[in-house]
Amino acid sequence: MTDFNPLSLCGKNILITGAASGIGRATSIILSKLGANLLLLDLNEMGLQETIAQCAAKAVGIALDLTDSQSLKEKVVSEVNSFGQLHGLAHIAGKPCMVPLKSITQKICTEIFHINTYSAIELAKIFSNRLVFAGGHGSIVLISSVYGLVGSAANIAYATSKAALHGATKSLAIELASKNIRVNCIAPGFVATNMLEKNSSLFNEEYTNTISRLHPLGLGEPEDIAYAIAFLLSDAAKWITGSILNVDGGFTAQ
Amino acid sequence: MENILNELAEILEVSGVAENDKLANFECWDSLTILSIIALASENYEATLSNKEVVDAETVGGLISLIKSKC
Repeated sequence: MTDFNPLSLCGKNILITGAASGIGRATSIILSKLGANLLLLDLNEMGLQETIAQCAAKAVGIALDLTDSQSLKEKVVSEVNSFGQLHGLAHIAGKPCMVPLKSITQKICTEIFHINTYSAIELAKIFSNRLVFAGGHGSIVLISSVYGLVGSAANIAYATSKAALHGATKSLAIELASKNIRVNCIAPGFVATNMLEKNSSLFNEEYTNTISRLHPLGLGEPEDIAYAIAFLLSDAAKWITGSILNVDGGFTAQ
Repeated sequence: MENILNELAEILEVSGVAENDKLANFECWDSLTILSIIALASENYEATLSNKEVVDAETVGGLISLIKSKC
């Protein structure tokens, strides 16, 4: 036996958003099993506590609204003082928006961009600050969507908010390389989460079957995304930055 | 609610609608129009509708009653 494990996250402090459910919860549990100490953010305080109860390492929860940038910065900086400076960030929180063109408004687009896009930029800014970043090798992982890469109807606000993350990933990768902070993005296909269930009520019974057929490997599980996040946060990915990694069961291979 | 007939007319892509108009008879009646109605109800009236509820409403009047019941 050997203790060789380049995917180990032992000793790393990692901030995860959207940690109260779905992909965020699965990521929290897996990263904790890989040895990371976790600072978990979500609006849903009860969900956060349920996630913390399933973590295998130190995990601290902060219930807050990611779109309140002032409060976000104050709370993260304040918590880092006692928790310890951060080595990694996984920004998983996001909101779907199934609204066709004829009903779309600037108000809807702005709300979605605040949650899906602007919060990612704000978090990257906070994470890379000397008060927060631990130094050494840092890694930021953003979560977009296959719909930031390919089109679908009734998805313009969501798709543009996620495609914007791809541009942000590449610009941030260049800007933060001098600080040794890598920035990558995962574009997931459809994962069986509450978010998918919520979308299903907007369509007829065929919806989930239709979506499933678009994935040669079938629908994903939250853990499928979590393992990819763990890899990009680990030192095994130390030469990867500015990449968009499709984790989609073959959705975009067609 | 006073503007809802105009809002529905815009989504149904006609100049005006009446309460007894059948939803399925509108030329643009499809899954995207249903989604647009769900978005209208959510954005303007804070009413959460499902696809099935909108289809089952059958008429413009039925749809308005449905939205009112969810407000």
